[in-house]
Amino acid sequence: MGLLRQTWLLTRNDLRQEARRFELVLTAGFFTLVVVVLFALAFFGLDEEVQPKAVPGMIWLCIAFVGALTLTRVFDRERENSTLAALLAAPVDRLAIYLSKLAFTVVVLLACAVLLVPGLGFLFPAAKMFAADPLATMALVTLGCVGYAAIGTLFAAGLATSSGKNVLLSVILYPLTTPILLFALVATQRLIEGHGELWSTIGQMAALDVALIAMGCWLFEAVLVGVSAKPGGASESPNSRAAARAARARGR
Amino acid sequence: MKHVPYFLLANSAALFPYCVYRVFLMTPIEREMGTAQKIFYFHVPLAWICMLFAMVCGIAAAVQLRRRSERAEALAVAAGEMTVLAGLGVLITGPIWGDATWGTPWTGDARQVSTALLWMIFVAYLLVRRFGPANSERLAAALAIFGAIDVPIIYYAVKIWKTTHPSNTVVGSLPQTMWNSLWWCLGALLLLAISLVWIRARQERIAIGLDEAWIEADERDPNPAAAVPARA
Repeated sequence: MGLLRQTWLLTRNDLRQEARRFELVLTAGFFTLVVVVLFALAFFGLDEEVQPKAVPGMIWLCIAFVGALTLTRVFDRERENSTLAALLAAPVDRLAIYLSKLAFTVVVLLACAVLLVPGLGFLFPAAKMFAADPLATMALVTLGCVGYAAIGTLFAAGLATSSGKNVLLSVILYPLTTPILLFALVATQRLIEGHGELWSTIGQMAALDVALIAMGCWLFEAVLVGVSAKPGGASESPNSRAAARAARARGR
Repeated sequence: MKHVPYFLLANSAALFPYCVYRVFLMTPIEREMGTAQKIFYFHVPLAWICMLFAMVCGIAAAVQLRRRSERAEALAVAAGEMTVLAGLGVLITGPIWGDATWGTPWTGDARQVSTALLWMIFVAYLLVRRFGPANSERLAAALAIFGAIDVPIIYYAVKIWKTTHPSNTVVGSLPQTMWNSLWWCLGALLLLAISLVWIRARQERIAIGLDEAWIEADERDPNPAAAVPARA
């Protein structure tokens, strides 16, 4: 069974679970809506001149927030049902797990972007350019989401076994995703301004995405196996150095 | 080998007063920036040390993941802490210098923003090390590797984000006396950094060994009545 087919099967599994209740799409989608309304309230008074500078920031900040939320949930689901160990024991390539989670996260993020981009276009006249060049808009939103999710999936997997440690995900995620978010920001700004180098920036984003996914593939196994594939379910096991250190500190 | 870091530390302590003397009394005052330029002799070495130990941390983390080496892990932790410390120095001295010469502490120049982001990544590394879930050592290692590789990308990204950064050719056109003072300061600070990392890495290795012994004792005798305080 090829890697692509395994990835597709796992992605389909996630999508099917999602289709049963639409939990993530509905909650993340509504969260997007809330953020858009908050932006509208906070930046209501911006005049035409400033808007083109503010709208790209709004889009990518919102994606960053929604992304952190989604990534937490994607692996939470596996943790709640204790299916992560089963997934790791299944005869599939570990890369397929990473790629399928990545694909699923991108699908949810794009579903949110479908609300976000037209929503901003509706509220801020400067964002009308998105409708004028739908192809570039779709390309840059997709590439930005893919890059963000490539980093996010890797570290969300690493934190998957820790309930209540999700603050750490944001702490890791935001500094590490700055390069892709900055590229996305520049591309969005160039789209709004009608800059000539728009497509070359989008090309650079694609190259960066490939690099990020390659790094994610390289590190995923080390991160995930180290965290959760130890016999006896290391998540609850006290036999970790962190627990030993904590116990030592208490005993002192 | 046991006393090498203390020897280096003593050398650094002896060298430092000479550096200050050299910087303030033997090196000419820069024509355009005036006395404010003196901060350069501490700012630039700190920035180099920050970059160097970020790389050391990334490479040590890669070795840690690949060979499951505790020695590399301890080095990665120590180097990560040094990166944060030196980075803090850079981020404090940089704006002071900028305020004196450019008139504004923060210009959003590619170098500034990427240093700040590098610093943030390594703070995140230390946070994960300290507060991460069970067995998060490998997660933290991946973060360090990612951080080390991310640095040039961030630099490039910030550069295209802000295409109008002030061109920085200060370092290239210095007179030889200023270069010499810079090398002395770099030497003193580098000795300090290396000895601190050395001592800290050794201490971390002992701590890791202690944790392992603790786990082993716990596994051998899981009886709660034992002297070892049981599970977390």
